[in-house]
Amino acid sequence: MVQLSERVRRRSRPREGWAGWLYTAPALLIFSVFIIGPTAYTLYISTFHWNTLNPSMSSFIGTDNYRQLFQSTTPDFLTSAGNSLYYCAAMVIGGTALSLALALLLQRGGRLLSAGRVAIFAPHATPIVATSLAWVWLFNPQFGLIDLVLKHLHLPTPQFLFSSSWAMPSVIVYSLWHEVGFTVVLFLGGLAVTSGELSEAARVDGASPWQEFWHITWPQLRPVTLFAVVITSITSLQAFTQFYEMSRGGPAYATTTLSYLLYQEAFVLFDTGYGAALAVVLFVVTAAFTLLQRRLGDRIAADL
Amino acid sequence: MTLAGPTARRPRGALRRTVAVLIALAFLFPFYYVLVTSLNSASQSSTLADLLLPHWHWENYARAWAAAPWPRLFLNTVLIGACTVVLALATSLLAGFAFGVMRFRGRGLLFALVMAVMMVPGTVLIIPDYIIATDIHWLDTYWIQIVPWGASVFGIFLVRQFFLGLPAELFDAAELDGAGRFRMLWSIGMPLVRPAMLIIALQIFLASWNSFLWPFIMTQDPNVQPVEVGLAAFAGADGTDYPGLAAAVVFTTVPVLAFFLVLQRHFVTGAMSTAGGVRG
Repeated sequence: MVQLSERVRRRSRPREGWAGWLYTAPALLIFSVFIIGPTAYTLYISTFHWNTLNPSMSSFIGTDNYRQLFQSTTPDFLTSAGNSLYYCAAMVIGGTALSLALALLLQRGGRLLSAGRVAIFAPHATPIVATSLAWVWLFNPQFGLIDLVLKHLHLPTPQFLFSSSWAMPSVIVYSLWHEVGFTVVLFLGGLAVTSGELSEAARVDGASPWQEFWHITWPQLRPVTLFAVVITSITSLQAFTQFYEMSRGGPAYATTTLSYLLYQEAFVLFDTGYGAALAVVLFVVTAAFTLLQRRLGDRIAADL
Repeated sequence: MTLAGPTARRPRGALRRTVAVLIALAFLFPFYYVLVTSLNSASQSSTLADLLLPHWHWENYARAWAAAPWPRLFLNTVLIGACTVVLALATSLLAGFAFGVMRFRGRGLLFALVMAVMMVPGTVLIIPDYIIATDIHWLDTYWIQIVPWGASVFGIFLVRQFFLGLPAELFDAAELDGAGRFRMLWSIGMPLVRPAMLIIALQIFLASWNSFLWPFIMTQDPNVQPVEVGLAAFAGADGTDYPGLAAAVVFTTVPVLAFFLVLQRHFVTGAMSTAGGVRG
């Protein structure tokens, strides 16, 4: 009875008009001034030879900054795009595989495994500036621990961050250590809602642990995996601090990713217009990934 | 999560626990390594024992502490983080309430706009926002480090989800009593969405503390700079004083790590709710 009258009244309730706009206004104002407006502004800047000291002296050059992307400059755009791809691919493939393995190892269980989960998540909570320095020392070819251990084992001792072929893998190892905790938690969340009954039935039917994982658990984790892949791609594309702290984009531009190149062009070489063109490229790629993520997010929500 | 399933009692359980402990120790090792480095002298590092055992050179800490205005930098970091959290909570609560409970013309459009904001990464904003900050004289201020991060898509989304999960009758009844909309939000909504608010506050505070590129570009003056930028400057200037630098890494990281350990349960919930499956 009460329910019925409630429903009738709700349908007839007038729309709340301006109040909705008023309540959303503070957030939308901040977004407009510092995110939405500036995104359009970036597009505008990217069509200028921007004069940093006196913006009114900037000259309109149309698509020249974009054309410059495909010309040989040092370091050129394609090299840094390649470096970004290298880093993203390693983080996505390595990070996802590692997180899944760690989540399977650490799921449920007693107090010990619970402590293990905290230990693996802890690096993710630390500032990159601070903890990347620790890894710079671990990788140091003169007094670093890794170098010393390799010497003891009579293995070859690469120059790590000082070698153009080893610098990127070294930064990747640090980043995996820092980022993996987050994706492990995503997978733990996925594992917590997988069907225990199905696994139980598989075990009763004599399935090996591997068969159980491959045919029962893994298919249920697919949406979470897709989500982890997309979110890792987006954060990896943004990565800047570890490259600044560990290798400064070097040696020989081997770790100059798109984000690092953007910083370099805009804030070291003061070629703001070109930096803005790079930002537009980054935005387009990120937007594509975010749309993909939203699709997947909806699907995961539906699956749960 | 404390279910001791049947697998835990099998021998495979023991192996699994051993592997888990070894991996956990490997993840914690870099922390130990920094701690030891911070207590050794720069010259003594030729053998494994030298690298792995502390020699108690506490003077490294005194030297590092004297090298930069750390108390000021810490104060700035906490101030910036706290103000960002307060502002972001306020904007998220208001907008999340509007999107979750109120019906108004243009709601779908505005919500689509909010979700579109998610597509813009911070790296893309650094150039135009630097120019804007120059124009409005916000470079080298607390403002540029607080206000742009004072609204959060994640926050709005989480609050909205919470309100959508509550029975709509709750707010209808309050309106019937003649309570104003804001009082409705304040006295009924707020207490109910407190778990969401905690998750948002933690995420934003940690993100603010750990941010680097933004304050690094926007500030030059140590009077308004956060600790991480100060640490990077110290690393750039005294790049060879490894023990001193390690000491600085220790005393700048311990507060964040302690903060995380005390509240780790909520961080994990937060990370999980980012995945789209919101669990209170």
